[in-house]
Amino acid sequence: MRAGSREVAESCLDGITMEMVATYCDRLHSSKPDLAARRIEAIGFQVGQQLAERYTRDRPRFTDHLEVIKFICKDFWAEVFKKQIDNLKTNHRGVFVLQDTRFRWLTRISVDSPLTPSEANNTTLAAAQAGGKYLYFPCGLIRGALTNLGVPCAVSAEIAALPACSFIIRIKV
Amino acid sequence: MILCVAIVGQQNNPLYLQSFAGGDDVLKFHYIVHCSLDVFDEKASILRRTGTNLNDNFLGLLYPAEDYKVYGYMTNTRVKFVLVTSDLELKDLDIKTFFQRFHAAYIDVTSNPFHVPGKRIASPMFRDRVKTIVSSFGQL
Amino acid sequence: MAPAKPGDAAFANVDHVNAELFTLTYGAMVRQLLTDFEDVEEVNKQLDTMGYNIGIRLIDDFLSKANVTRCSEFRETADVIAKIGFKMFLGVTATVSNWNADFTECSLVLDDNPLVDFVELPETCQGLYYCNVLCGVIRGALEMVSMRTEVKWARDMLRGDDAYELRLKLIEHVAEEYPYKDDD
Repeated sequence: MRAGSREVAESCLDGITMEMVATYCDRLHSSKPDLAARRIEAIGFQVGQQLAERYTRDRPRFTDHLEVIKFICKDFWAEVFKKQIDNLKTNHRGVFVLQDTRFRWLTRISVDSPLTPSEANNTTLAAAQAGGKYLYFPCGLIRGALTNLGVPCAVSAEIAALPACSFIIRIKV
Repeated sequence: MILCVAIVGQQNNPLYLQSFAGGDDVLKFHYIVHCSLDVFDEKASILRRTGTNLNDNFLGLLYPAEDYKVYGYMTNTRVKFVLVTSDLELKDLDIKTFFQRFHAAYIDVTSNPFHVPGKRIASPMFRDRVKTIVSSFGQL
Repeated sequence: MAPAKPGDAAFANVDHVNAELFTLTYGAMVRQLLTDFEDVEEVNKQLDTMGYNIGIRLIDDFLSKANVTRCSEFRETADVIAKIGFKMFLGVTATVSNWNADFTECSLVLDDNPLVDFVELPETCQGLYYCNVLCGVIRGALEMVSMRTEVKWARDMLRGDDAYELRLKLIEHVAEEYPYKDDD
């Protein structure tokens, strides 16, 4: 799919995504975390739409929603995060849970994010909270890709224990 | 020769139309493209049922008319490309190749961070690129 | 003695991602900033600040992976940025030119620029320096190796020029400070 295409150092992407979070969560909307989340998610949404167009160019047509979700879990995740989703669950009523046991963008944060004294007191919760803001963009990516592929949905994320996380997709009827 | 290429969005909204016929036929092409939309979904489902898997995107001849032919191509994001030609003897392979190049150009224009999905495409770069693709039709 | 293509070696030494993912993410972010700020100058500033914050972290990565020794002269520094820095991170090279008389100011002309792939600026973005993040990155990185600089775009193809040219100016060598600050 990607033979001969251009590459850049991963640290460039890491730099941009981390600064995106710092800009919106810490500088622009530090008192309005929901607004910051929406802005970052919107950025992810646009990229997700564009990547869906690009990554589905040569593949056979999807026959149902489940196939699209599987595409996200396998090909899409591999292109973006260099691995596949580890576990896919569904309640067969339009809710899908995608588990990544080692989400790439969460593997860095314990090294880079400074913890405030109150955060350091409750490290598991703190880590989950600190990590949460790095999931707005991937949620947007998923929602953008799915929406462009004909699956309107809402996407949220949860961190159980770093660096594992889950993305919850709720398909809109 | 290629008379017209068009792009129609997911909600059957017109996104792009470029005429190469050199006349005042643009309205006629809008009409032709509009009429072809019904055939799209029909053709896509027929191909699925017959199990044709090679490049699902290309839907082949949508409908022939007296002095032109209309071909269709639908992306996985359900965006439709329409090609109207006056040449009645074109090879399927050439048309498929055309659509693939056109698809690549479409992907690039939608990759512009300032592109607005659903809005008409007005990019001069895209227009030029399409002209090039059209003029090299049938060549490797 | 530097190897024949130190930039290539450095680039091979790091993890890569598809450039499109990076290009699209950067572009979507610039677009969102423009929506949020409406003032193009503000966005230019934000991009520079973001670049600065990235640069101060990137330098460690660079020094450890690029196998370069500390540069004693600014002339050497500019060369390293052009041939190794840009190559290692963006996979492209730049040419150094137009030095001033005392070698404190020069131009870096990029031979390619992945940030601008697919980008077509709308009319409403007059005054935007789309790639301003790069100015901040270089300034931040150099500050970490004790050089205070000013980095600006002299030519920008998205603004109608014929090349991407940065103007790099050394303001002063900063004395090495004790790394632990009392206040923060």
